[in-house]
Amino acid sequence: MQGGNLLSEMRRLLNIALLTLIAVIFAGHWAFDVDAQNRGRFSHSTAQHKKLNCSACHKIPTSNWASTSGFPDVQDYPGHASCVSCHRQDFFRGNQPAFCGVCHSVVGPRGKARFPFPHPTRNSDFSTIFPHNVHQDVIAEFAPPRDERPYAVAHFVMASFSPLRNDDPPPTFNNCAICHETVSKTPRHAVRISPGMKPLTDAAAETFEPKAGFFKDMPTGHAACFTCHYQGPKPTATDCAGCHGLTASTPKTGVVFKRYSIKFDHLQKEHSTRDCMTCHVRISQNADLKTLKDADVPFITCVQCHNDKISEEMGKRVESLTNNQAPFQCVYCHSTAVGRFPLPPSHEKR
Amino acid sequence: MRGVLFIIFLLLLPVSPCSVFAQETGALDVTGRVRIGKAQEKIVRKRFYLFKGGLTANKDLVERIKNSQSTTRDCFYCGLKASSEYINWLRAEDCESPYCREITEADVAKVPEFQAAYTKSLRQYGNRPAVARKWLTTNLAPELRDGFYRSHKADLAKVLGDQKPLQSSMTDSVSVRATFIDLPIAAGAKNETYLISNILPIVIKDKSYIWICEADVNSAKRTNLVLQVPDGDKPVRRCEVIVRDVPQCKEGTCSAK
Repeated sequence: MQGGNLLSEMRRLLNIALLTLIAVIFAGHWAFDVDAQNRGRFSHSTAQHKKLNCSACHKIPTSNWASTSGFPDVQDYPGHASCVSCHRQDFFRGNQPAFCGVCHSVVGPRGKARFPFPHPTRNSDFSTIFPHNVHQDVIAEFAPPRDERPYAVAHFVMASFSPLRNDDPPPTFNNCAICHETVSKTPRHAVRISPGMKPLTDAAAETFEPKAGFFKDMPTGHAACFTCHYQGPKPTATDCAGCHGLTASTPKTGVVFKRYSIKFDHLQKEHSTRDCMTCHVRISQNADLKTLKDADVPFITCVQCHNDKISEEMGKRVESLTNNQAPFQCVYCHSTAVGRFPLPPSHEKR
Repeated sequence: MRGVLFIIFLLLLPVSPCSVFAQETGALDVTGRVRIGKAQEKIVRKRFYLFKGGLTANKDLVERIKNSQSTTRDCFYCGLKASSEYINWLRAEDCESPYCREITEADVAKVPEFQAAYTKSLRQYGNRPAVARKWLTTNLAPELRDGFYRSHKADLAKVLGDQKPLQSSMTDSVSVRATFIDLPIAAGAKNETYLISNILPIVIKDKSYIWICEADVNSAKRTNLVLQVPDGDKPVRRCEVIVRDVPQCKEGTCSAK
């Protein structure tokens, strides 16, 4: 009786083992097919790719730098040799191998044309690593009195400002302006709203539109970095990981400038003559862009000049609520899309 | 059973809105307009470090700062046997490194180090004068390029040891102020005492200065710490100010410190 039970138990275990084996083989085959289909989409994050140094595939500079960037740059996809050692079979998968479509806009034996590099619409696998604190330190200098010199301290005169709306020449705070220039065309912008806050009322009609001069741009290519870092100091151009951190694949949505106070004008006389760090007070200690959620101008820095006007509007808000009237919408700094929200703790505390 | 319920209660405690206490915070400005003798000097773009606790609580750190030695700019470059033209170029606008201002065509013609780096860059970057000049620092000797910064960084690391500042901030060039914000104030406390120091000496004319000061920060009002230098024998209240003569490093007479 016991021997029969044992036999039946062994059969049961064998069946389970066989079914598991079949499932594993099937899943592996299915995964292989999916992988093969995905080869039209290159990912830096696969286990095999992550094992490689960037320089195993990317040549720095690419041979087309003179005609594209005008400075030694990475402006093209890696050559066939980078792919062929692992992906030889993918080159011959079907008449128009999906694999070729990673780089080539025309797939086929005679298709030489390639997409622009980097591909303008494909997801990005990287975030940028940039320590503002180090750059502030390196570009810092000793301190002669400001009024004895025609420009502000720490200046690399590579960037330009748009014309000011007053007669005085603007000081160039070039330690920042190396990378952040006034934009020439009004960029895509939106209001920034603190998460979890509920508006007190619908936004009143708003006609305000910011101008280009309100915004500063940021580097999008290698130009600003390679000027100093190409072959030293570290990270150099060949140390891609020094600036590019691998992240989850993210869509390139383009930059949308989000502001709490959309009415802030960088070119307004009293603003443009101040050092960037007068308001961006935390920037000199920021070591990681990821922790920099936005332009990070704490409210405390607005109050030091605009307290009267801010207090006046806050008084109106309190008064309207006390009198059970429609909540006053703050419009001195904000558009009504933001000005209709409750006062945040930073404002209450001022 | 009662024990299990108590643990569940403890686990739920942090998510209860009643348990979320808003941390009181304060702000501190360090004002870098310093009266030295009859002149008012502006300490711009200099970094200050902030530590929790006052002079007594940070006694060891204070001692390390007081005993620290740091090479001055002129001595550093002099020690590297940089040309007098290079040192003069830095001195002309009080630069610490070649990154601090644009290197013009005239500078390239005048400073031998720039000339050599430019020639190399021209060869390397496709005979493009604009690129060669803009990228000139990539062909400067590393020590001349960012050696002084690295030397300062090493000095700082030596002084700090394992102690990490809570925050650091730089004085700006217009308001001449370094601002520290969101400084935590212990629950129930009226003030929180912080220690502020530039750690690395700041050279003003022929002297170098290190400030080590304590200040009380509260949540009601921004605290303003105005940097001062001792007036004769009269020390600065709640501050240790280390004033040293700057060694004169000229060609052939470079001293290490």
